[in-house]
Amino acid sequence: MKLTKARALILIAFSVPVAIELRTVAGFFNVELPLIAVAVIEFLFLALLFVLYGLYGEGSESAA
Amino acid sequence: MATASGGGGEFVDKFPDEAAIIKASFLIAFVSLGIGAFFGLVQALHRTNVLRVIDSADYYTMLTGHGVLLAIVFTIFFLCGVFHWAVARSLDRPAESALFSWAWVGLMTTGAVLATIAILGGFVPNLGMSADVLFTFYAPLQAHPIFYIGLAMFIVGTWLSGADWFLSYRAWRKDHPDERIPLQTFMVLTTMIMWYISTLGVAVSVVFFLIPWSLGLIESVNPLLTRTLFWYFGHPIVYFWLMPAYLLWYTVLPKLAGGRLFSDPLARVVFLLFLLLSTPVGIHHQYLDPGIAEGFKFIAMTNTMFLLLPSLLTAFTVVASVEHGARQRGGEGYLRWLGALPWRDPAFTGMALAGAMFAAGGFSGMINAGMNINYLIHNTLWVPGHFHLTVGTAVALTMMAGSYWLVPQVTGTKLYSRPIGLLQVIMWFVGMVFMSNAMHRAGLAGIPRRTAEPQYQNFEFLTPIGSIFELRVQIALGGTLLFLSVVLFLFNILLTSLGEESDRPVDSYLPEPLSGPEGSPRILDNLAMWTGIAAVLVVLAYTLPLAGIIQNGGGLFGGGLPVPATVSAGFDLVMTTVTSAFNTLWGVVA
Repeated sequence: MKLTKARALILIAFSVPVAIELRTVAGFFNVELPLIAVAVIEFLFLALLFVLYGLYGEGSESAA
Repeated sequence: MATASGGGGEFVDKFPDEAAIIKASFLIAFVSLGIGAFFGLVQALHRTNVLRVIDSADYYTMLTGHGVLLAIVFTIFFLCGVFHWAVARSLDRPAESALFSWAWVGLMTTGAVLATIAILGGFVPNLGMSADVLFTFYAPLQAHPIFYIGLAMFIVGTWLSGADWFLSYRAWRKDHPDERIPLQTFMVLTTMIMWYISTLGVAVSVVFFLIPWSLGLIESVNPLLTRTLFWYFGHPIVYFWLMPAYLLWYTVLPKLAGGRLFSDPLARVVFLLFLLLSTPVGIHHQYLDPGIAEGFKFIAMTNTMFLLLPSLLTAFTVVASVEHGARQRGGEGYLRWLGALPWRDPAFTGMALAGAMFAAGGFSGMINAGMNINYLIHNTLWVPGHFHLTVGTAVALTMMAGSYWLVPQVTGTKLYSRPIGLLQVIMWFVGMVFMSNAMHRAGLAGIPRRTAEPQYQNFEFLTPIGSIFELRVQIALGGTLLFLSVVLFLFNILLTSLGEESDRPVDSYLPEPLSGPEGSPRILDNLAMWTGIAAVLVVLAYTLPLAGIIQNGGGLFGGGLPVPATVSAGFDLVMTTVTSAFNTLWGVVA
């Protein structure tokens, strides 16, 4: 499945509620996640998405 | 579902008068949206102490403007535009009288302008005019009479708009005596019947109590009575906001997804259930009101939980229809079909995201509706967090997304920019996630709603995870993103309406449902019978509580000291009234 700009935007959008509630979910398992950890995880996700878009997104050689 | 309107340019060419009415309705809706959203930004920044450009006393003027302009003027004017489009399109006929249509547009506009002037007057203390009564405009807060008169005119305007659509239906029925009511018209008519029943409460409250009270014609009102009459209307208005969104989800979203509506009869059942169940539930907004007996509150809670049924039926039908569309587009697998949906289309994406957030709003709504757990979050910031997911996203985002498909149909011009539209709907989703999530969390920490400076001396709000500071930042960030999203929307729509005319600005064809109305019982279309049942349910739910409120609260106009509420007090008053009426009747007959 090609990673289009629209699909990438949707993935980014849905990553926001997941990131916001990550500390709550971790709390269920008695893991106290600091805010900075959540920010780093979200940043890593966005970086991964950026790389995937470069490799498989619209206009990339593999997509063509 | 009628499929008469084939090409995109056909609606404005075929129904030019209706297109003009719809454009006027949308224009007023979008102007209200812009002003209301700006007020929302100022509030979000003020109460989080990020930026304070107004006095805290003016916060409540802005809050009233934000609520009235967005929750009443924007939503209902947009509804009128959508319903006018849906009736003309599905019946394939223009309104009976363009003059009559313009009459209700004019009356609603005049009413909205008067109410807005009264609210904005609060910013000018020397004017002697204000309406800082918030969106829930019941006593003891009092507004300038112009505010109530404007609202009364607005409500009467909506009644006339409904009459316009019923007249169209009556004319269509003469030509099609044996046909089933087209689905979109069925949705419009059932919604309007629900609106007629529910607005009786607010009409009585405004005309018989609030206007005379604000004019000084009567000294006092029974505050609990005006509260109860407001909430008699205040919960069904939630469904009045939602029904145009549902109309778009049921009849337009499946088409945008590339498929067809899964089941026409199921859609009819859902709208009938909303007609029956929307009104006899308003007391669930009054769980902490001491003047209503607990038993009546319990009945209201039970009725409210029944409302989950049509919402869950909608979730099933709409998701099934969208999945069908995805599979028509080549989607496969249990979840991979989601990737086949047209995410580039802002109309589809906005409605889909609105639906997803509505699910979250439904869950937080169940907390509100539960009598015991409601005490935890009553009057806290949780409540605005909840309704910003429902009316603020399920409804508002669907209306904005739907505009990207509807506005080109009534202007005959192509959408100015799909990428800007896509960015706009996603920005709304992200902004609302930030703001609403923080509001829910702040509510759980006990932070009150409707407060300009929610800080108490020597008291610290505590959150189980994170900090209050983080929540404030989240609310400010979310509010800013939401305002920017509205700016992008208005910019896109303005440039769309100013664009060059196109022969086919949008594909407006709506396909037939997978399962049509033929196999469903014709009794579903018996609107008179369903109206009767809805009225009986309202009488059953409200007679005793209202009687108790009148008896315990010092009569219709208050004045006496209230006494504790009991179920038997209302029952006694009803029995006394019925016995007295019977004796009088018996005396006449004898």
